[in-house]
Amino acid sequence: MNIHTYEKLWLVAAMVLIVGFIATITYGSVGLGITMVGDQQPTIEPSEISDDERFGEPRVEHVGENEYEAYVVAQTFAFSPDPIEVPANSEVTFYVTARDVIHSFSVAGTNINTMVIPGEIAEMTVEFDEPGEYGIVCNEYCGSGHHDMEGMLHVVPEDEFDMTELSVDADDELELGDEAAFNVSVENRMLDDLETTATLEIGDEMLEEELTVAGGDLEETTFTVDTTDLGEGEHDWTVAIDNYEESGTLTVVEELETDDENEDDDGDNGSDGDDDENDDGETDGGEDDE
Amino acid sequence: MAKPTEVRTMSEAGSTYIDAFPAEAKVVRAAFYSSFLALAIGGLFGVVQTLHRTDVYRFMDSADYYTVLTAHGVLLAITFTIFFLVGVFTWAITTSLDRGVEDIRFTWAWYGLMVLGTALVAIPIFAGFTDSIDMSASVLFTFYAPLQAHPLFYLGLVLFVVGTWLAGVDWFRSWLAWKAENPDERIPLPTFMVLTTTLMWYIATLGVAIAILAFLLPWSLGLIDSVNPLLTRTLFWFFGHPVVYFWLMPAYMMWYIMLPKVSGGKLFSDPLARVVFVLFLILSVPTGIHHQYLDPGIAEGFKFIAMTNTMFLLLPSLLTAFTVVASMEHGARQRGGEGYFGWLKALPWRDPVFTGMALAGLMFAAAGFSGMINAGMNINYLVHNTFWVVGHFHLTVGTAVALTFMAVTYWFLPQVTGRALWNRSVALVQVVLWFVGMTFMSNAMHRAGLLGVPRRTAEPQYDGFEFEAAVGSVGELNAQIALGGILLTLSLALFFANVVGTAFNGKSDSLPANGYAETLSGSEDAPLVLDNLKLWTAIAVVLVIFAYTFPILSIVDRGGLFGPDVNPFPVSLDTLPVLGLVLEQYVTTALATAGELTGSIVTEVTP
Amino acid sequence: MTQSTESDQSDQIREIGHDEYDPVGTLALIGLYFLILVLLWFFMYFVEFLGNEPTVTGLLLSVVGLA
Repeated sequence: MNIHTYEKLWLVAAMVLIVGFIATITYGSVGLGITMVGDQQPTIEPSEISDDERFGEPRVEHVGENEYEAYVVAQTFAFSPDPIEVPANSEVTFYVTARDVIHSFSVAGTNINTMVIPGEIAEMTVEFDEPGEYGIVCNEYCGSGHHDMEGMLHVVPEDEFDMTELSVDADDELELGDEAAFNVSVENRMLDDLETTATLEIGDEMLEEELTVAGGDLEETTFTVDTTDLGEGEHDWTVAIDNYEESGTLTVVEELETDDENEDDDGDNGSDGDDDENDDGETDGGEDDE
Repeated sequence: MAKPTEVRTMSEAGSTYIDAFPAEAKVVRAAFYSSFLALAIGGLFGVVQTLHRTDVYRFMDSADYYTVLTAHGVLLAITFTIFFLVGVFTWAITTSLDRGVEDIRFTWAWYGLMVLGTALVAIPIFAGFTDSIDMSASVLFTFYAPLQAHPLFYLGLVLFVVGTWLAGVDWFRSWLAWKAENPDERIPLPTFMVLTTTLMWYIATLGVAIAILAFLLPWSLGLIDSVNPLLTRTLFWFFGHPVVYFWLMPAYMMWYIMLPKVSGGKLFSDPLARVVFVLFLILSVPTGIHHQYLDPGIAEGFKFIAMTNTMFLLLPSLLTAFTVVASMEHGARQRGGEGYFGWLKALPWRDPVFTGMALAGLMFAAAGFSGMINAGMNINYLVHNTFWVVGHFHLTVGTAVALTFMAVTYWFLPQVTGRALWNRSVALVQVVLWFVGMTFMSNAMHRAGLLGVPRRTAEPQYDGFEFEAAVGSVGELNAQIALGGILLTLSLALFFANVVGTAFNGKSDSLPANGYAETLSGSEDAPLVLDNLKLWTAIAVVLVIFAYTFPILSIVDRGGLFGPDVNPFPVSLDTLPVLGLVLEQYVTTALATAGELTGSIVTEVTP
Repeated sequence: MTQSTESDQSDQIREIGHDEYDPVGTLALIGLYFLILVLLWFFMYFVEFLGNEPTVTGLLLSVVGLA
């Protein structure tokens, strides 16, 4: 077989190209540590996602210093959680699975991109150096609403990031002279302790309490206000902790009216009473820590 | 000194194909017309999509976009390409062996089976447009489970593929009969190309046959409750990548045996052409996992092996680039061309057959580059399932293949109809228009893909964010895509004007003779081993086994043969026979129930 | 139309045989193609891809300074 010299030259050049391409990819894998989505994770039955420890409640978890894990479920036609919130300067491992058909989890404008196949869990570890907001799209056709399937990924500045959850349980309507109780519970899902101040504003009054919530723990506290000081009428209130606020309105009346409402209120009061006891116990615990 | 090149002996020297093989010419013509019908409908759906996606003009519900997309993909990627190529291959076999098919009834039978298959596939797809028929198949060209189509869709695909298998049998029969009469002769180059491509196709279609017969069809009929989505997806890509070579090989064949001729030269090297087709036979199949670089459940090592195979598959294409350009240059220099680049001016740019194929080849050079990116493993994070990929395959199948097919149509039509081409200038404008339209469209698609714009999406406009372009804007890209789509549609209209015009033209006595290019370095220079098809097939099978056994065993081991809800199948190496038995059982079940299919309108898409 | 290929071949002004033909033009074109491929490859990998951070990395190397 006689091959022209030029063609031999080209054959060599072609081999150089091919080997060069493979070498570049290998450099990316070995030198830069870019890993492929693989088979590290066990399989999961789509029907059991709801009971799964990780995917039953899709969320972000703080698992180590600057290390987070995001458990994401894709289904027609949404991602959860949405938005996914993580801090900058962190290392986040995404675990993504699908409840129904094949989807993808693709963060627009980045190299975060994986297929999401029912039964399989995609694992991707990513470092976020800078804050930013990214859109997440499903880039695998998943049905008639495929184009509506989107989510958001918020990489927030490190000092603005927390995993605090505030909830307030308070009465809507009280008789003049009652004590108004505001049961505040603060959950800290970070691993580090959270030192913060809870405040209650109602009418002209402003109450404050220092709180320390241990990592992965929940603290509760109660603000009490005498309705006599507030007087009759509607009073807007706000409980705030760091960047979180919860507001409501307390109506103080001279006398509560119908029996039905009384019964309801009694019921509420009863459960409130229980909560109070718990609150006290836990608040004490918190103070002991201090 | 000029080497003596063998003289192509046609049945009657100087006669057209229809004169030499009137019966075969009818089949080839029927295959071409079937292909063009698919091209017309599929092409129309193409422009509907470009306008809808880019939000230039939307007249339908976005949910219907996916029905349009399914029809576009199936009609163009499967129906248009394959009907055309079975016509070309039948022409190549009969012309290069200089003998008619062994039994024309058999030839019509496989053609008929392909038509039937297409019709069965089309019924549920088109039924998806109306709610009044409880049937649909908006599962796209890839039909990934758990998306489910109506059983007719899967059945039609099977019949279509079986039709192509029988076509292959037809071609092999011709060759074996010829070989019995010419035991010492080399396989003529066009026949060699047909046979190697057919062997590759047989191996490749095993994947989709198993996916459909063992899993998807019984599942759509309710015989089995679930499937393993990763397994059927992997079996799809076992077929889904090599199928692109099934489209591409006929285009390559045209570049090797027609382009040198229309350039006024000879094929530079017959032996290297054989090497290229052998490389495609052995390397096309064990590469499909490169479509699954981002699939969870497949180990990185398997992905790396697939990448290595894929990268080496660049070799035959790069060799083709040299041989084909050198053959064109030979023609140009025989026509008086001089200099390093000046010879390009001596090429017959006024001939639509030449210009179409040359532009298709140029586009393929660009497609080669985006293909190299797609072949890369970790860089796939950047482009996977983005519009980039769509840009890529509109250069490959959408231009390298489609434009070559359209260009050679201008040569083939007179051969199979006996009528002169209706208008050569329109043909020239048509091929150039396709090139320009595709330049706009695919360039913008590639760029949009790099921004993260997804493929296969009716409305890639989102509520929470926008795609950010460093250069230009999304609006500018959309404008280019819409403009490209419109130019391509105009080009198609001109193409059909020529096809119809030619069909109504009068019979002509002064048509060019049937034939193909002679060679500078002929088959006498090719080592005999190149013609040893058994050897290359064996090597191809071994490579497939190496590349696929462990990934598939691992997928079945992880997720179960019939999906995650089934207890893990106890797989080790010695369970392969068991696996075979299970498959066999389901194939039998599927075939048994196939008869009852007609009235069973049971299932619709249940995502 | 009838002579689409015939007419082209009649434009032939000389016969060049195998041994007297050196495809220098092809070599020049394909050399150019080679250069374009190499440049575009580096551009795509090191600018488009590695510049498209964040990227999926394992735990092997955490901090990567990219070109």
